[in-house]
Amino acid sequence: MSVALDANPRTDPPLDFPDREFGELSHQDYAELGFLCGLEVHQQLLTDRKLFCRCPAGIRSQQVDAEVLRHMRPTLSELGEYDGCALMEYKTRKEIIYQLARSSVCTYEMDDTPPFPIDEQAVQVAISIARLFGLDLVSELHVMRKQYLDGSIPTGFQRTAMIGGGGTIPFRASELGSDRMLRIRQLTLEEDSCREVSDVGHRITFRTDRLGMPLIETVTEPDLLTPLDAARGNRLLAAIARSSGKVRRGPGAARQDVNVSIAGSRRVEIKGVPSWRWIPRLTHNEAFRHLNLLRLRRELLARSVNAAHLAISAKGLPWECSDLVVEASSIVRRSSFGPIWDAISRGDTICAVKLPGFGGLLEHPTQPGVTFAHEIEERVRVIACPTTRPFMIGRADYGVDAATWRAVRSALRAGEGDAVVLLWGAPEDAATAAREVLLRAQDSLVGVPSETRQASAGGNTGFERILPGPERMYPDTDTPPLPIVDAWVDTIDVVERPWERADRYVAAGVPAAAAEELATSPWAELFDDLSPSAPSTARRLAFAIIKRGHGLRARLGAETASAAERLRPLVEATDAGRISPHWFEAAFYELLVDSGPAEHILDRWRPSSDDCQQQEMDVVRANVAKLSGKSADARLRWAMGQVLSTVTMDPLQLRDRLVRELALTEDGA
Amino acid sequence: MSATDKHGYEGYRDPTKSVMKRFGVTVWSQVQAETTRGPFHGLVLPRSETSDADHLVLKLGSGYNVGLRADTITKLTKTGYKQAHYKIPEEEFPSDPSKPSVILLGTGGTIASRLDYRTGAVIPAFSPGELYGSVPELSEICNLQTEKLFGEFSENIGPTHYIALAKRIGEAIAGGADGIVIGHGTDTMHHTAAALSFMVQRPPVPVVMVGSQRSSDRPSSDAARNLIHATWAAGCGSIAEVMVCMFGPTSDRYNLLHRGTRVRKMHSSTRSTFRTLGDVPLAMLQDRELTPIHATWNKRRDDRDVDVHAVFDERVTILYYYPNMQPDLIDAVVDAGYKGIVIAGTGLGHVNRKVYPALERARNAGVSVFMTLQTLWGFVQMHVYETGREILEFGVVPLANMLPEVAYVKLGWALAMHPDDPGAVKDLMTTTLAGEMTEREPHDGYLVFQGGVPEIDELLGRIWS
Repeated sequence: MSVALDANPRTDPPLDFPDREFGELSHQDYAELGFLCGLEVHQQLLTDRKLFCRCPAGIRSQQVDAEVLRHMRPTLSELGEYDGCALMEYKTRKEIIYQLARSSVCTYEMDDTPPFPIDEQAVQVAISIARLFGLDLVSELHVMRKQYLDGSIPTGFQRTAMIGGGGTIPFRASELGSDRMLRIRQLTLEEDSCREVSDVGHRITFRTDRLGMPLIETVTEPDLLTPLDAARGNRLLAAIARSSGKVRRGPGAARQDVNVSIAGSRRVEIKGVPSWRWIPRLTHNEAFRHLNLLRLRRELLARSVNAAHLAISAKGLPWECSDLVVEASSIVRRSSFGPIWDAISRGDTICAVKLPGFGGLLEHPTQPGVTFAHEIEERVRVIACPTTRPFMIGRADYGVDAATWRAVRSALRAGEGDAVVLLWGAPEDAATAAREVLLRAQDSLVGVPSETRQASAGGNTGFERILPGPERMYPDTDTPPLPIVDAWVDTIDVVERPWERADRYVAAGVPAAAAEELATSPWAELFDDLSPSAPSTARRLAFAIIKRGHGLRARLGAETASAAERLRPLVEATDAGRISPHWFEAAFYELLVDSGPAEHILDRWRPSSDDCQQQEMDVVRANVAKLSGKSADARLRWAMGQVLSTVTMDPLQLRDRLVRELALTEDGA
Repeated sequence: MSATDKHGYEGYRDPTKSVMKRFGVTVWSQVQAETTRGPFHGLVLPRSETSDADHLVLKLGSGYNVGLRADTITKLTKTGYKQAHYKIPEEEFPSDPSKPSVILLGTGGTIASRLDYRTGAVIPAFSPGELYGSVPELSEICNLQTEKLFGEFSENIGPTHYIALAKRIGEAIAGGADGIVIGHGTDTMHHTAAALSFMVQRPPVPVVMVGSQRSSDRPSSDAARNLIHATWAAGCGSIAEVMVCMFGPTSDRYNLLHRGTRVRKMHSSTRSTFRTLGDVPLAMLQDRELTPIHATWNKRRDDRDVDVHAVFDERVTILYYYPNMQPDLIDAVVDAGYKGIVIAGTGLGHVNRKVYPALERARNAGVSVFMTLQTLWGFVQMHVYETGREILEFGVVPLANMLPEVAYVKLGWALAMHPDDPGAVKDLMTTTLAGEMTEREPHDGYLVFQGGVPEIDELLGRIWS
């Protein structure tokens, strides 16, 4: 994604837009905000082996047979500049621990053996999914290395290859109208990264079982214009991938990165969102975080704060080379405040940083329940790697005694309009932290820094790292290009796309909304297997599957064939008119919960014999007379209840008959 | 092919080249490509010479490279031109008179490098200024001077390079260097280490060979750590021998210093590939601290005395014995004019009876034949079995626990030291000059752990954590 694409096309931030909770805005409101969202959906493929080695795929191991310790060094670009992300990761000076189990990992994943030829099964699955998206396929696969210095991949890069790009799919579920389209920018085939086990101070630990598993990343254009559409778009992409039948299911098998910007901001990536259900609230809150940061920028500009006021040299100890930082150990040594005492007793370096012009702005809100101080503190936590909380103190009322706070402010010559923060840690960490506070303060003059952020279940996001630049991709010299020949592409089956399937269901008699839902459900195959012929049966079957979908797997097992076996007599009987469509769902449910022979169950739902029906009609005829005081409507309802409690017949037919034979009519009729 | 023809079409052949010409497109053109598989927009990159002739390589805006098959291309429209210029910015390597002076000799390969992200090309960094940009830690260790002697991959390094290196080391020592680092590809690093061990005897300062198993363009590379450790060992270390400095374990924990005559590359790709065989390594290096492991080694001296014998007779070979080896093979070597043969024999130093006549003919032709072991560990012991005793009868000289590659290198050197004097060559070969044969094998000189055995898995679980 290039830098140009990162900026929201609209440059006029809606600074006066009122603050609103999630759920309170219409899609017109989001349009006013300039809300733009694009998705990067990661989906593990169902293959036997990992992508570049012969380790089995899909093994989740808790066992740790050995650990490997590594570090990551940034490599320079041609301009002699480090990628912002790379530099940040290097500043963190992390020790990276990889836990490995013999059953799931070989020397390839540990970056001790070059890659084996790419797994062709994975390439085929990727191609078939790319065709579902209608993408333009490349004719030769080039494996690239995409740098990641966070340690999540031991090589320091992810092997990834472009399969195709430039597709458009119907986005009928959009809240902006069923004629919306969703553009797919690209689909790539890549290896999965490690699972993080812990990240404390300068030590981050990863488990490697998932590492190297084949996955596809599907990237959309920023065509999702509301939080709800973002979630619906995500569901659509996931459904299309699943419709191939060749992707993994279960926890961690699908994860998405969600890119958000609003007018006047830049793309921020919310990484590793585990469920589409999180997306609406996350993207809404993130949009308002952007708005709040843009408001903060406006305030800073109004106060004439500029980057020069916050500048600090890249070398040397901050408290020796900048007036904005003081080494405060001696100033705070008499403080009664616990965390400061602890820091002193650990021998930490304590320093204070002045943010000129930021007076009162540390309390500027950013997300629900979160302020700008938190943005700074997160940067300190991730980059300087302190281990004891709190990582930073930005106001006196945090618990610092007034005398100490006054002394700190005075040492910094901080005035009314200035903010001050206190930090501590090992000397190098304290220096990194002080520098980072100033760098984050500088970023606030830009507005919204380009970041990768973590999602929390509550709907807020937290700083994870600087957004990597686009220029971190280079060819993998270890793997030769792989031609994707026509003959090969032609032999790959392309299954029906969900919208094509939905069209077919509509033609079969299923209402449009139900058809859409059924088409993306895992039980679409069951519907196809049963293939009801009458439109009324099709409609009832679709509703029953959607309504009882959760119970299906539990009751009938995961196999479509066995479920179809159980339900087929019902569908056939309904198609043949032997069972009224009205009783379809009830019979469907009984087939699920009652393990008796299907024929016995269905017998209960067949229309009763004419004699039985007539007998019951006679009984009702005798009794209905006693209800003369009731309204005609009440009498009709009572009569229907009476008859249906003993005989099975189509309720509509019964109603007609009661009206006709007993002269029962509805009120006003 | 004319020069201009090649220029602009780097790596491309027909049919792709014709397509490029038809549409007036060259390498580094920004193009809009229409293909039967859809449109693509990107920068035309040079194609690897070893790749097929059918595809055009584009770098897309997303950074991904893709190949477009020539016969799918219906139209190429040039929208711009952007040639890559590789240049590494240099920063002056700081000078500090209190720090030792180290000379880094380059033989080829890349010790350090930078990436051109736009094209993905790896640009070697070698001058002190370039190195300072990519491994700034070096400036905390020494004053660095660099010199590129050759630009060869490891597999192409041979006797002429050994000689040039040995001479240059002699000059550097005379010139006052406090230590010498030699950057070298890893495949044949132990051959070169052995050669320099014999050609440069009793150096007063460390001569440290170093390389990397993972190329320096990747963030997980071992190159920077190896270089830092090697430079420290050369400038500040107390062991003045020809050594190899590479990773100890696969983890980023410590490096090992191996004696140049006992070290061998033992795995095609792992970081911990260099092992001392039949003995323990000289020392461990971690966090700028050298911890000796071996009991004996030559200490750094203040003098500038060194014996440089930079000669090599290339008429030597190494024969890896296998069952049913035929005598004509040895005859052919003798007929071709070779003066020395090192046999890597089985077991305690054996070959089959069939080749006896050839061994006899070799001796009669004045060819020196020596016995080493393909077991790599252990000593040649030709008196235990009758076969061994018979082979000795043909003048084959056992070389104790000298590694086969070391014996090959030493024999080439010895033949050049004593041309036409097989007796002197034999004496030289059987005299230990640089630790190439040891008196004894310590119990921990042979360690090839067997995975899966409970006690070993338990040990690995502990030490690999």
